[in-house]
Amino acid sequence: MIQIIINSIISTSIYLLIGISFSIIYKIYKFFDLSHAAILTCAAYICLLLLNLQKIGAGIFIIAVILCSIMGCILELTILKYHRRKANSKLILMLTSIGIFIIIQNSISMIFGDETKSIRSKVVEKGTQVFGATITPTQEIIILIGVIVSIIIYLGLKYTKIGKSSKAVESQAEIARLSGINTNQVIFWSMALGSAVAGLAGILIALDVDMTPTMGMNALLMGIVAMIIGGVKSIPGIALGALLLALSQNIGTWYFGAQWQDAIAFGILLVFLIFRPQGFLGKKIKKATV
Amino acid sequence: MDYLLHILILICIYIILASSLNLISGYTGLLSISHAAFYGIGAYVAALMSLRLESNFLLNILCAIIISGIFGAIVGFPSLRIRDDYFVIATFAFQIITFSILNNLTSFTGGPMGLPGIPQPVLFGLKISSHEQFLLLTGFFTVCVFLICRRIVCSPFGRVLKTIREDEVFAAASGKNVAFYKVMIFVIGAGMAAIAGSMYAYYISFIDPTSFTVMESIFIISIVIIGGAGSLWGPVVGAIVLVALPEVLRFLGMPSSIAANMRQIIYGALLVVFMMWRPQGFMGEYSFTKDTSNE
Repeated sequence: MIQIIINSIISTSIYLLIGISFSIIYKIYKFFDLSHAAILTCAAYICLLLLNLQKIGAGIFIIAVILCSIMGCILELTILKYHRRKANSKLILMLTSIGIFIIIQNSISMIFGDETKSIRSKVVEKGTQVFGATITPTQEIIILIGVIVSIIIYLGLKYTKIGKSSKAVESQAEIARLSGINTNQVIFWSMALGSAVAGLAGILIALDVDMTPTMGMNALLMGIVAMIIGGVKSIPGIALGALLLALSQNIGTWYFGAQWQDAIAFGILLVFLIFRPQGFLGKKIKKATV
Repeated sequence: MDYLLHILILICIYIILASSLNLISGYTGLLSISHAAFYGIGAYVAALMSLRLESNFLLNILCAIIISGIFGAIVGFPSLRIRDDYFVIATFAFQIITFSILNNLTSFTGGPMGLPGIPQPVLFGLKISSHEQFLLLTGFFTVCVFLICRRIVCSPFGRVLKTIREDEVFAAASGKNVAFYKVMIFVIGAGMAAIAGSMYAYYISFIDPTSFTVMESIFIISIVIIGGAGSLWGPVVGAIVLVALPEVLRFLGMPSSIAANMRQIIYGALLVVFMMWRPQGFMGEYSFTKDTSNE
């Protein structure tokens, strides 16, 4: 039972990171940016590539995160900005991001192959015992990074100038621009931050359970589920959503077996979408207005 | 020659799929990434019935249509409460749950091993076995589906669908039961996808869950969008282009492992390019340019 809770906490911190990175972008752009999944996958594979080139320790993780952030910015400057200027609908943006996602994922699978790749050290880590459950040092690091980064982003969005202006842009972009906020800059930095956090999540996943070219989509969908059931606008909400998702997945695994994880996650999502689309900490109600 | 016929049969199957999705997404404006699920449900129902019950071919297709239609109603129902991108995610969820059930309910669906050895269909005492006969049969169903689509689109029913797409509140204000129309079009679309599914099951005579993944759903919606959503001929053009175009790669001597990825990259790129410069596709009249939510 303790093991279930520990495992849930590990998944929670990963889902939380993805949920946050996705919500940063979703709040500003207001569409489901599925190309985020590709950026997440890229981070893991960039690490693999750098690790093969030379061994420079923790530095490669930082380089990979920065590269991901740059990738997000390139997407923003080339494609998304174009659509924003034309004021295209969120469905068009979503379809575009699906296209980008397909291109990047398949390029990765063409270059690296479909099989599972690993950036973990070959030595089997010796887990430490916590209340009778086993936890490896890597998993401790994952939890630590997840919590620290989330808190930093939460405080950053709340108290820094750019965080406050991003809040203004997300609620009323027009009025924010009128009051002298450089919206393009805010959107640019949101994309950079969101992509960087996504990259970080991708690396953590790769450290925990290795990588495949399709890992991005699965992970991103879990992040989206956590975001929707927690409520889009609040980071504590996403944290609760991630915890609920991770707990139900791990308990479900205990009873039914690991193969039903996806079905459980999306079952919960459907229930929430139909009965409480604003999530359990959200306020915005988004439903038919007939 | 058989190769050419094989491509033609595939094109027919995808025309059925894309035309039926076009009714849902193009004419009613409900973007849905769950069509491969209906396709798969149809294929599995037909395959299971012919394997376990050894029942008649036409009866199997009928049952596939009905069961898939029931699932269509289940997916159509949330569209009354949630919309736009949230609805897309909901259909996404349905697609993944369906795949997960097909993949994991091993005792019933055969799991990842799939269902091999589906017998060839017997139609009025005639066994359909050669590629030519299959092409005729699939072509017949394709023409039927196309004509039904045309009938629906040109009827008052179809005009209400377009009204819902353009302005849902207006449709409701004119006394139309929007809920009924939305669920109904999902039932029809899902039923048609089941026809394609059963044809696929009978033609390949082996099905496994990997034919009905999220990627397949995205491929079908790409056909609709690149061909042109909201036009009758759009999905036909889209299916021909997107199914036949990657076959060109085969003649360029590309190894099959890369060709599969290249195929997806091509339609991903087409999707991006079309969304930027021609969101209504080759011949479409609708381009998802309108946000329906009240933000």
